[in-house]
Amino acid sequence: MKLLWFHLMPYPELPEDFNRRHRSVWVDIDPALFDPEVIAAAYETYIDQLVHAEECGFDGICVNEHHGNGYGLVPSPNVIASVLATRTSRAAITILGNSVALYDPPVRVAEEMAMIDLLSHGRLISGFPVGTSMDTAYAYSVNPGILRRKYHEGIELIRRAWTATEPFAFNGRFTQMRYVNPVPRPLQRPHPPIWIPGGGSVETWDHCATNDYVYAALSYYGHLMAKETVGGYWRRVEANGKEPNPYRLAFLQFIGVADTDQEAYRLYREPAEYFFNRSLHVYPGYADPPGYVTEASARARYKSQVRAVVRAKQAKHDLTWDEMVEKGYVVVGSPDTVRETLEDVARTFNCGHMLTMLHFGNMSDELTRHNSKLFGDKVAPGLRTLFADVEDHWWPSGASAVDAADPVAPA
Amino acid sequence: MSADTLLYLPGIAGHPADSPALDALRAAGGDVVVPTIPGLDGRSGFAVPDDHLGWLVVVWDALDATGALPCPVVGASLGGMLAADLAILRPEAVTALVLLAPFGIFDEANPGLDVYALPAAERMGHLFAKGVPEPFVERFAALGPDDGPVARYLSDVAAASLLWPLGDRGHADRLHRISCPTQVLWGELDELLPVAVAASWEEHGLPVATIPGAGHLLEWDQPEAVATRITEFLN
Repeated sequence: MKLLWFHLMPYPELPEDFNRRHRSVWVDIDPALFDPEVIAAAYETYIDQLVHAEECGFDGICVNEHHGNGYGLVPSPNVIASVLATRTSRAAITILGNSVALYDPPVRVAEEMAMIDLLSHGRLISGFPVGTSMDTAYAYSVNPGILRRKYHEGIELIRRAWTATEPFAFNGRFTQMRYVNPVPRPLQRPHPPIWIPGGGSVETWDHCATNDYVYAALSYYGHLMAKETVGGYWRRVEANGKEPNPYRLAFLQFIGVADTDQEAYRLYREPAEYFFNRSLHVYPGYADPPGYVTEASARARYKSQVRAVVRAKQAKHDLTWDEMVEKGYVVVGSPDTVRETLEDVARTFNCGHMLTMLHFGNMSDELTRHNSKLFGDKVAPGLRTLFADVEDHWWPSGASAVDAADPVAPA
Repeated sequence: MSADTLLYLPGIAGHPADSPALDALRAAGGDVVVPTIPGLDGRSGFAVPDDHLGWLVVVWDALDATGALPCPVVGASLGGMLAADLAILRPEAVTALVLLAPFGIFDEANPGLDVYALPAAERMGHLFAKGVPEPFVERFAALGPDDGPVARYLSDVAAASLLWPLGDRGHADRLHRISCPTQVLWGELDELLPVAVAASWEEHGLPVATIPGAGHLLEWDQPEAVATRITEFLN
């Protein structure tokens, strides 16, 4: 399997009483909370950590996009990815991703991603999320009633822009262009792999299955809560007549590794509490703009109100550290403990791409590097052999995966 | 169609029932036609139009289907925004116009409450100054526990798509095209469109009267006062 190192790039100094004094980490967060000097230093540290991840043997390094957000300081992951493209040489540069409907015209996304693919010599994975309601409907004010149609049309335009051999006219509902002819086109042919980060909607699963995109399940709430989502996805893959190649799926998991279970339990408590109890403090009014979910998803949601209530209780943010561990939000322990858990998750989920979150919250640089190094040295080798006989059709042609049989040398 | 027929375009929460104001208008001798606006009716399978022009086509098809036009038109909230465009773009269809706290112009100095940035369960309480009227407590309840909430959601999807993000569709640039007699009424306690926004309509030559004790859906908060004003204006 492939192991990727994912960075949210959070603001590391939200005040301890943030939840009590502020209503939301997103959209209307008080700009006075942010010190530009702290952000400048954080960018430098975080980029170094992503570079270090490649040195630790991770197959890919990942960044994503958020707007007006205190736990994700990356409104443009393409900016960070372009730095990573020139500071690394082997790992897949994984952008998860660009929220296509936010960009007029979406050709801009095609152009920037093509540049990153060239800068990285064909190592780009291009992610296209719809984007959260906070990012799209509120921070960028896109009408939620048309968001998903605009998103799908944008992806269609980007794919055509990447693959067309001649200039063409595009007459979409939301974008009309007489001349689509981006220069440059990507290095990878026909185009970089497309991954779709998403929640748990049937439409997204079908979208991925029918178009042969990777579905990246990006819940922050760990493997135990993701079982239903992942199961639903694989049922749609089967229903669409596609083979259950494990590399059709990517899954995100927070992880903390230490020499012993006890030490891990001690080391990762503070950053986990910072993330789950401070960074995820989002005002509920931003969660449900009318039109953001489709009629089918709304129907499913209202028919499962009881389940939703249970899920909401499970996802409450005033969690204890014990609850975070018990519910699987964070997998912590010795290398053996973590490997056993993740191997079980990978087999149960049939998951070929593990998105590891080895930095979270206000984790120090020292602890982050310790976590990455231990994982790379002592956890990763036991996981790489999984699905080694299955071809990954969704891996960038210019990226070298670590050879499971010889993890010291790039394949 | 009766010469005393008027057409009423409902507001942001759709039309779960006739307001007492419409009953009062009928009691005064007129007929009130309420068109079924696609989307606001919560019907399954309706795709919201891509843009404002697309919405106007959908709404005009619904209005023409009533056979009521030309006639006086009363539009509330987002219905006021649509009624204003009907009078601007199809002046032969509207003989008189009453706008009840219409959307269409956003005033940065008076932004009002972003009702769609509230948890869904809290939204309805901010549309009224005197408590949520019974028909709005659980709209589409007659459809049952599965379909009712979905219809509520779909109705809100349609309304939100008409207004997102600010409820400004450039009316300030075309209000001068209104040629029929027009009256604007505004609730003094409107949370969504503070009464100060009314000045933006007044400065385009449209007379404004305010209704004390009324919130955004003023025909529900102060039905008698609103009906009296409409009747006096039309007479």
